[in-house]
Amino acid sequence: MFALVDVNSMYASCEKIFDPLARRTGVIVLSNNDGCVVAMCKLAKAKLGNVKFQPYFKISKQVEASGVIVRSSNYELYSDLSASIMDILSRYSPEQHIYSIDESFLRFQTQPKENWWHLGKEIRRVIWQEVRLPVCVGMGPTATLAKAANHFAKKNRDTGGVCVIDKQNIMAALQGMAIEDVWGIGSRLGKKLRVMAIDDAWKLSQQPAKLMRQQFSVNIERTVRELQGESCLAWDEVRSPKQQIFSTRAFGEKVTDYASLEQSLVMHGEKVAKKARKQGSLIKMMVAFAHSSPFSDGQIYRRNIHHGFFDATADSRDLAIAASAAAKQIYRPGVLFHKSGVGAIELVDGAMYQQDMFSAQGRDPRVMAALDTINQRFGPDSLSLAAKGIQGKWQMRREMKSPNYTSSWLDMVRINCSNIITK
Amino acid sequence: MNIIPIKAQAGITGFESPASEYQTLPMSLDEILIDHPTATFVGLAVGDSMTSHGIFDGDVLIVDRAARQANMDIIVATLNGVFMCKLYDRQKQCLLSGSDIYKTYQLKEGDEFLEEGIVIRSVRNHRQSTKLAKCLR
Repeated sequence: MFALVDVNSMYASCEKIFDPLARRTGVIVLSNNDGCVVAMCKLAKAKLGNVKFQPYFKISKQVEASGVIVRSSNYELYSDLSASIMDILSRYSPEQHIYSIDESFLRFQTQPKENWWHLGKEIRRVIWQEVRLPVCVGMGPTATLAKAANHFAKKNRDTGGVCVIDKQNIMAALQGMAIEDVWGIGSRLGKKLRVMAIDDAWKLSQQPAKLMRQQFSVNIERTVRELQGESCLAWDEVRSPKQQIFSTRAFGEKVTDYASLEQSLVMHGEKVAKKARKQGSLIKMMVAFAHSSPFSDGQIYRRNIHHGFFDATADSRDLAIAASAAAKQIYRPGVLFHKSGVGAIELVDGAMYQQDMFSAQGRDPRVMAALDTINQRFGPDSLSLAAKGIQGKWQMRREMKSPNYTSSWLDMVRINCSNIITK
Repeated sequence: MNIIPIKAQAGITGFESPASEYQTLPMSLDEILIDHPTATFVGLAVGDSMTSHGIFDGDVLIVDRAARQANMDIIVATLNGVFMCKLYDRQKQCLLSGSDIYKTYQLKEGDEFLEEGIVIRSVRNHRQSTKLAKCLR
């Protein structure tokens, strides 16, 4: 049985954890580069309509009038909270694959004590209790069906956030899924399929797999087989449609020496760089992480190290250097490392990324290092692209970033120990 | 127990002691301060209504969302939009400070109250930490 667990409107939900005001007003989150809306919570959607991916400056007046809080992306916060969720999920199965900052697959080889639905409810309850993030759980006999189940759980509130696909409900679940939303089918393929009167996941699942292969590709054949309940996707092949790329793997034998840990992180970094190049993206921020399996007392040693690239890159050498530096901060003697990985958590479109004088061909890596050091000492964006222009509005962007509640002592949430202020 | 001695630096600048790699204790304070790493967050205590329970202004609270609940826990909660720390009488549904100066607060209809976690440990600064001093107002 496969499960897909993902967070509802992750970035927006994260912003509510330490900011009770945002829970009341609703919140939207902007990307740092484009100033576009990348996340909205339910309340914000109700107040503003769906303005996802719109440039902020276009809707700023409307947002101000509505009282919805605006935040710049706070990747360190999201990534720390994500690490907690992934840790929690790993308790439920040793077979776990993290696909993006807020999505993870689990694979179960054995039945749970109660039924699958109860397991899904428990996962939801535990993540809410420990991290205060709302998740949906979809389960099915294949990864594609788990994804469909997750989609169904999200769209239908009466599921209580959990949906398990079985023979009884598979037709209803797949009928409620538009063809473009099926994993592996985009809008382009969706158009072609609609012409053939295949407009939802159920109709697609009813097609003969071999025929789909002839007419389209082996990938579509696999999708059809998966919808039919035949698991044929290899873990590595599945790609998250979200804007993050992760590479993680558990060690065959626990790792205790620095060299092996460093090597694994460098390898993951190179893999991530390669995937980024393949999809035409450049990496603006990466996270390198490793953790031990639980000790006898339940404790886990876990570290995530973030690295922001001044100049977004998909060059394997850059990722390798950053991963190697992270290894130094992660490694601790005596720890038996169980898993390591690298994630590209902020990506930019390679085609649209502005190159500036510092990134001309044959650039001197010392220049990059100097820039990184300057920005580290004096604050991010101390030195930035002149081509960006002095955009008065965008100076606000950094001020709209929430504090690093989970990664900076100076940003700890303040807890009132005085008299209680009554309403 | 393994204690690796940290070699004292001679005070002569210019040559880094090989022991300077060991800047932190090999014994991790996390081990004794944190029970549930995925469910724990930290916060800064502001105010002095909880001094009779050993929590002073400027202390660091270690808050556990997964700790088992009991009556009269010291909790962190959000009440009407603000994070606060009080003694929680679960049975009577009221919040106390354990001091006569600060009134007991009775939770009522219309209050937005959410228990965020239980204060399992706190860091009492007998001497002020320069790093944390930057946080204090």
